Amino acid sequence: MVLHHYFYRLKCIVRDKQNMFWTLIFPIVLATLFNLAFSNLSSADNFSSIKIGIVDNEEYQSNTNFIQAMKSVSNSNQNGEENPLFDVQYTSKEEADQLLNNNKIAGYIYFDNGLQLVVKESGINQTIIKSFLDEYQQTSSTIMTIIITNPNVDVDNLISSVSNKTNYLKEVAVSKASPNNTVTYFYALMAMASLYGSFFGLNEVTAIQGNLSSQGARVNIAPTHKFKLFIAAMLAATTVHLFNIFVLLGYLTLILKVDFGSQLGFIALTCFIGTITGVSFGTFVSSFIKKGEGLKIGILIGITMVLSFMSGMMYDGMKYIISSNVPILGYLNPANLITDSFYALYYYSTHTQFFMDIILLCAFTVIFTVSTYLVLRRQQYASL
Amino acid sequence: MVIKVENLVKRYGDLIALDHFHMEVKEGEIFGLLGPNGSGKTTAINCILSLLKYDKGSIVIYNKPMLPDAYDIKRHIGIVMQNVAVFEELTVYENIDFFCGMYVKDKKTRRKLVEEAIDFVHLNDFKKFYPKKLSGGLLRRLNIACGIAHKPKLIILDEPTVAVDPQSRNNILEGIKRLNKEGATIVYTSHYMEEVEEICTRIAIMDKGKIIATGTNDELKGMINSGETVTVELLEIDNNRLEEIRNLPNIVSAEYIDNLLVVKSSKGKNNLIALMDFLKTKNVNVGKVYSEPPTLNDVFLEITGKELRD
Repeated sequence: MVLHHYFYRLKCIVRDKQNMFWTLIFPIVLATLFNLAFSNLSSADNFSSIKIGIVDNEEYQSNTNFIQAMKSVSNSNQNGEENPLFDVQYTSKEEADQLLNNNKIAGYIYFDNGLQLVVKESGINQTIIKSFLDEYQQTSSTIMTIIITNPNVDVDNLISSVSNKTNYLKEVAVSKASPNNTVTYFYALMAMASLYGSFFGLNEVTAIQGNLSSQGARVNIAPTHKFKLFIAAMLAATTVHLFNIFVLLGYLTLILKVDFGSQLGFIALTCFIGTITGVSFGTFVSSFIKKGEGLKIGILIGITMVLSFMSGMMYDGMKYIISSNVPILGYLNPANLITDSFYALYYYSTHTQFFMDIILLCAFTVIFTVSTYLVLRRQQYASL
Repeated sequence: MVIKVENLVKRYGDLIALDHFHMEVKEGEIFGLLGPNGSGKTTAINCILSLLKYDKGSIVIYNKPMLPDAYDIKRHIGIVMQNVAVFEELTVYENIDFFCGMYVKDKKTRRKLVEEAIDFVHLNDFKKFYPKKLSGGLLRRLNIACGIAHKPKLIILDEPTVAVDPQSRNNILEGIKRLNKEGATIVYTSHYMEEVEEICTRIAIMDKGKIIATGTNDELKGMINSGETVTVELLEIDNNRLEEIRNLPNIVSAEYIDNLLVVKSSKGKNNLIALMDFLKTKNVNVGKVYSEPPTLNDVFLEITGKELRD
C-alpha cells in the first residue's frame, strides 16, 4: 500500500509543472544570474597597472634617484613583474596634457622646480599615484636629512634600510580552502532551494487531508492508515526534491565551478537533511494553517525568503551580523543551518560546527514531522 | 440493515445542519435522499462516512459502529463525491488504479477491476487522457469509476449528475441501476426529483437537516392530498366557465394561460372524466389532453409549503 501510494505520488509530483519549475528550474536560473553578477565582482578585484605619463625634460633626467624609483615600480623594471604599479609613457608636456585630456593616462608627473603631479579628476588611481610620490618625497627627504646631519654615513646601507620595510603582520590561512566571499551566496541559494521542498510538502498534505481537498476526502474514506499515506507522501516528495537538489549541486559544481570542498559524503548528507527539512517544513505549514492554498504558498515563499536573506543570500555580511549580534537567530534558522553546514565543510578542518548544524536540522525535521502527523492523524473534521 | 442512522445532530456554530436525522438503508435497495440545496444531504453523507464530526447520534453500517478507523467497514464502501475528486496529474487509467489500489493490493486483480470500471463508464477511448482534457460529463464518469472500481457492496453517490449533459446523465443513471442489479446497495442524493423518481426504490425527503418523509415513490405521493394535474389545449374559454371549473368537486385550482387550461385536483377518483364531461356539456372545443400524477415536488410543496426547486 505504501509503495502503491509512493509511486503514484512520485508521478503526481514530477508532472506538477509549476512546482517543478520553482524547485528545479528557478534555483538554476538564479544560480546562473548569481554567477554572472559575481564574475564581474571578482574581476573588479583584479589589479591592472595605472597608466601615467612622465614629462621627459632636463630636470627629470638629472633626477637619477627618481628614475631608479620609477623603474622599480613601472613596466620598464627588470624584475619582469606581471602587474607593475605603473604603465609609464615618456612624453613632452604638451603630449602629456593631450593624453590626460583624452583619458589615456590617469595623470602625469613632471619636474619644474620640484616634483609635480597633474591629474584631471580624483579617483583611486590618482590617489595611488599621489601616495607613491608622497612616499618617495618622504623617503628622499629622510635620507637627505640623515646625510646632512651625518656626512660619514654609509649611503648604500642607509638607502637599503630606509627602502626595505618590515611587515610585522603575518597572514595565516584558517584552512586549505582559499577565501572566497561569493560561495556564501551560492550556499544560501542551496539552502533556499532545499527549503523550496516545502512546496512539495504542502501539496502532499493537501492530497491526503479531507478538509483540504476533495481528493483528500476520498483518500480518507479508503481503508488505509493515515500514517502509511503520510510516510509514502513524504518519501515521494523527498525523492523528487533530493533529485532536484543534486541537479542544482551538479550545476553549481560542474558548470559554474562553485567550490564546495571535497567532502562529497558530507555534502550529500547536508543536501539530504536539508531536503527533508524543507519538505517537512511545508507539511507543517500546510497542516497548521487552515487557510487557502494561495495564502499558504505565499507564507512559505515569504518565510523562505526571509530565512534565506538572514543566511546571506542577498547580502553575505548578514550571516556574520546575525551570528555576531543575535546568534540564537542563526541556530533557529534552517536556511542558515544548511548554509553554515556547507560553509563549515568548505572552510573548517574539523567537523564540530558541521555536526552541530546537522543535528539542529534533524531536530527541526523531527519537530515539523511529528507536529504534522499529530494534526493529520485526526481523521474527522469539524467542516469540509 | 446496511446503514442505520439515529438522532444525528450536526451543528456549525449556531446553524443546525442535521437536526435529529434518522435514516435506514436496507440491503439491495437504491435509497434516494432528496432535498433542496443546503438541506443537509452532503453533511449527512460526510457524517455517515466518518469524515465529519457530529454532536450527537449514532451511525451503524453493516451492524458495526462507523468510526474513522473502521477499515473493515470502509473497504466495502464506494463513494462518488459531489466535487470531482481526481488528480489532475494522473491519467484516467492511473486515477482509477490509484484509488482502486487503496482497496485492492493484488496488481493482477486490480488491473482487471480497473478495466471493468473503465468499460462500465464507457471511458475506453480516454484511458490515457488527463482529467483537464475531459468534458464535464466524462469527468463525472471518471469520478464514478474511481468510486466503484473496487466493487463495493455499498455505493454512496452524492449528486453525481450536477452540471452534466443529458446524454451523460442517462448514462450515469443507467449505470447506477446496473450496479444495483449486480448486488450493490446504493445511496443516491440529489435535488433533481425526476432522477430520484426514476431510479430509487425508496426515498427520503430532506429539509433543513431533517427527514420529513420516507417511503417508496407511490407511498410518498399517497401521503398528500394532491391528485393529478390535467392540462387541456383550448382555443378559448371565458372567465365564467373557468370559475365554474374551479367550483367542480375535487378541483383545487384552474388557470388558463397561453391556450392551456391547467387544472389541479385533490386526491380522488375520476377527476379527469368529470372535467372532460363538464367541458363536453358546455360545448367547449378541446384539443390535446395531458394528465400527470402528483410529483415529489407536490409532496415537498404540501409538506413544507415551498417548491423543491426554491
